[in-house]
Amino acid sequence: MENLLLNSVEKNLSQFMFTNAIFLCQRLLAQFPSEVNLQLLARCYLSNSQAYSAYYILKGSKMPQSRYLFAFSCFKLDLLGEAETALLPSKEYIEEVPGGAAGHYLLGLIYRYAGRKNSSIQQFRMALSLDPLCWEAYGELCSLGAAEEASTVFSNVSSHCLQKTCVAQKVSFSEGAIIDQLTDSDKASKDARLWQTEDAPGESQQDLKIKQFGPDIPPDTYRQLNNSSHTNVWDLKTPSPVLSQVLDAPPPLLYKNMRRPAVEGLMSVHGESRRKYVSEEMSAEVAEESGRRRSARIAARKKIPISQSFGKDSQWLHLSPSESNYVPSLSSMIGKCKIQSSKEGIPDTVTLNDSATTSDQSISDRGSCVNDDEYSNPNGSSADRFSLVSGISEVLNLLKILGDGHRHLLMYNCQEALLVYQKLSQKQYNTHWVLMQVGKAYFELQDYFNADSVFTLVHQHCSLYRPASISMLLFCFSDFLSLVLKHLKEEMRLGYLAQELISVDRLSPETWCAVGNCYSLRKDHETALKMFQRAIQLNERFTYAHTLCGHEFAALEEFEYAERCYRRALSIDTRHYNAWYGLGMTYLHLEKYEFAQNQFQMALQINPRSSVIMCYSGIALHESKRNDEALKMMEKAIIADTKNPLPKYYKANILANLGDYHKAKKVLEELKDCAPQESSVHALLGKIYKQLKLYDKAVLHFGTALDLNPSPSDAAKIKAYMERLIVPDELETEENL
Amino acid sequence: MATESSESEEEGKIRGGNDKLNIDDDLREMGKNAAWSVSSCKPGNGVATLRDDNLETYWQSDGLQPHLINIQFQKKVRLQLVFVYVDFKLDESYTPSRISIRAGDGFHNLKEIKSVELVKPTGWVCLSLSGTDPRETFVNTFMLQIAILSNHLNGRDTHIRQIKVYGPRPNPIPRQPFQFTSAEFLTYSTLR
Repeated sequence: MENLLLNSVEKNLSQFMFTNAIFLCQRLLAQFPSEVNLQLLARCYLSNSQAYSAYYILKGSKMPQSRYLFAFSCFKLDLLGEAETALLPSKEYIEEVPGGAAGHYLLGLIYRYAGRKNSSIQQFRMALSLDPLCWEAYGELCSLGAAEEASTVFSNVSSHCLQKTCVAQKVSFSEGAIIDQLTDSDKASKDARLWQTEDAPGESQQDLKIKQFGPDIPPDTYRQLNNSSHTNVWDLKTPSPVLSQVLDAPPPLLYKNMRRPAVEGLMSVHGESRRKYVSEEMSAEVAEESGRRRSARIAARKKIPISQSFGKDSQWLHLSPSESNYVPSLSSMIGKCKIQSSKEGIPDTVTLNDSATTSDQSISDRGSCVNDDEYSNPNGSSADRFSLVSGISEVLNLLKILGDGHRHLLMYNCQEALLVYQKLSQKQYNTHWVLMQVGKAYFELQDYFNADSVFTLVHQHCSLYRPASISMLLFCFSDFLSLVLKHLKEEMRLGYLAQELISVDRLSPETWCAVGNCYSLRKDHETALKMFQRAIQLNERFTYAHTLCGHEFAALEEFEYAERCYRRALSIDTRHYNAWYGLGMTYLHLEKYEFAQNQFQMALQINPRSSVIMCYSGIALHESKRNDEALKMMEKAIIADTKNPLPKYYKANILANLGDYHKAKKVLEELKDCAPQESSVHALLGKIYKQLKLYDKAVLHFGTALDLNPSPSDAAKIKAYMERLIVPDELETEENL
Repeated sequence: MATESSESEEEGKIRGGNDKLNIDDDLREMGKNAAWSVSSCKPGNGVATLRDDNLETYWQSDGLQPHLINIQFQKKVRLQLVFVYVDFKLDESYTPSRISIRAGDGFHNLKEIKSVELVKPTGWVCLSLSGTDPRETFVNTFMLQIAILSNHLNGRDTHIRQIKVYGPRPNPIPRQPFQFTSAEFLTYSTLR
């Protein structure tokens, strides 16, 4: 009975019938109380987003896996302290963090949320060393600003590490019959255990994320695996139908995944990207380790061999909530296999092996099982080993490029990031994650047109698939897209995007940010503020929402509130340079120029290429009477971004204030040619000519300025200037005012 | 805000019927930064009703004419428009008929800058503060005083339902002489 219940629970979990799974599991637990079953129940609860239930049942359990699940539940419930103690019961046994790489990753997240930056960096690094494919850890390191070069992380060392684990896996394969494996002796289990710790947690991490997302490939894989006719064929379409589940995904992860959406789109829920990636770089062995972290699908495949070796080692079967998704399929499969004769068992094993090991090779030939048969020799040959190595290096190369690009982007070396991303193959480049990063790079460069086109491209890409994928996409970059559109002042498009988003998912903070940006564009700051506050309600840790709130308060001139919002944003993420910038602007408005200068300095430390920040820093310096530094800063700004006309304007203004009219005039004359439609340039020129007593030129420029539609208050000012011009000398009629 | 429409009058050039929503983008409501006070009021119909965004509640004076509403700012501000919501149909003899707007540094040196006469207004009445000189679109002042000199049908006390004061938006970039107008300048002028 226990087996039956176990199997059905696992099956239910893999098919998302969570409530049924919970029910059955409770019967199971009541009848056969054991820690393992307890873990299974916890997994059921976690799959059903009932972290509190999982928390209560796991409280006090000691097994590593239980501790990991318990820590995860605590994390979900925001009980960071308990989560930490669960993962690290005593200070000395750092190595025994349950869950391996995933455990370290979770611990890193906990520390990050608690603000303990150094500890979290350490944990992420450990996670990466244990499992080089733990991309999320690398992403977190990037955003903390502590990432090393991608080449060191995804290097030969990690390659060896991966090899070891794959080899171990293979060894266990070559055992032959399932039954043999099931009843395998220490060797297999030890090996398996060895890479189990590394693999599974790594996967569980990702799986957890996947679980959050909802898409679950294993069931399909499982089903396919069972049909020998389609064994190695992943239904590469599986992501799509599953995507609809995504809509209930909790926003926090969505945002996180916006930044580090998942290993090169593998993790992403976009069927297209999965498809592309999978068809792209996969080789037999690649499947193995990529499976470990990449997608549930791959993980599933990998899992299959794992579970095979372990058979009913339920402890490992219940590795993680989402692992259960495919593990159950495995166990049920194993169960089925057991029923068969050993002879039949072998072919199944073999096909399983093949699918796991060689599916990628036949990815392009979806339906062909031919290759399987070729490779059905369970004796791992040296050819396998070689392709394993090459596979690993391919994956690592890919990760290296992406890691580099990501790191550059988060260091705001946008040009380098763009260059790096260009190195990717066409197929990889066209995945949503990469395109989104590219778009973000353009955005940070203030190249809004390009950013717009990239994001629109992604949007269109998505339109080809289910609406669900549109929503995912929009979640991921809607806030950026909306900001881009706002900058380009395209109200209609922004409004349309906002409508689309609301209709697709009301529970995503990005949606409300987009809507808020709409209102802000229309200068309805109070409503915009409400929208941003809704976004914050949905996800407290959405740094950008806090910063946007701050901007709105600043626009409403409520500077204390603005400051508060910015500081809150900074408490979540110190590297969010927009918040530093916002603080600087607030202080500028409040005329506290020294403070303003400090804030701009901090922002510049994080993003040293931003000419806008340099401009404002220069203004603050000028107002604090440090004029030489101000002028130097303006020079830097001019060099940093040649397309930005403002530093020249500000420089001319400073020079004029300092009385150096000739230089100012020169600068402005150049600027006038670059930006002929800007009324303030002419107005300033007019003022300067007036000081230089070249009245006719002054009048000319004032007139031009007026023609160029200045704001009413400026128009009044300019008219006043013109008036005063005339008074001393000429008596000519200046009625064209 | 809500609806509106009132009618025009003769000399004060008060066209009524200003649709509130037609406030230009470059104007913003300035009343939040000001201290509001009135010369007299009936209990329950005090000065708060002038600023509560509720057109049902009104301020009712309780003394001798002229009735005064004082708006004092902490620093000199530029003001362009004053909107007053009055309704003859509801208030009849309580509806103001002659309104004078004065500006100055304080109670001691207020000077009249605008005087209008309303005839049966129903809705938002727009009082523009710019002088006859078209160049003077704003009035730069510490204090504004709205004086109700007389009411319709010679009523003694007056009802006013809402008052809004508008001035130009400041330059979003502090300490700059002029605002930017072209797209390129504006894109580079802020970060979000």
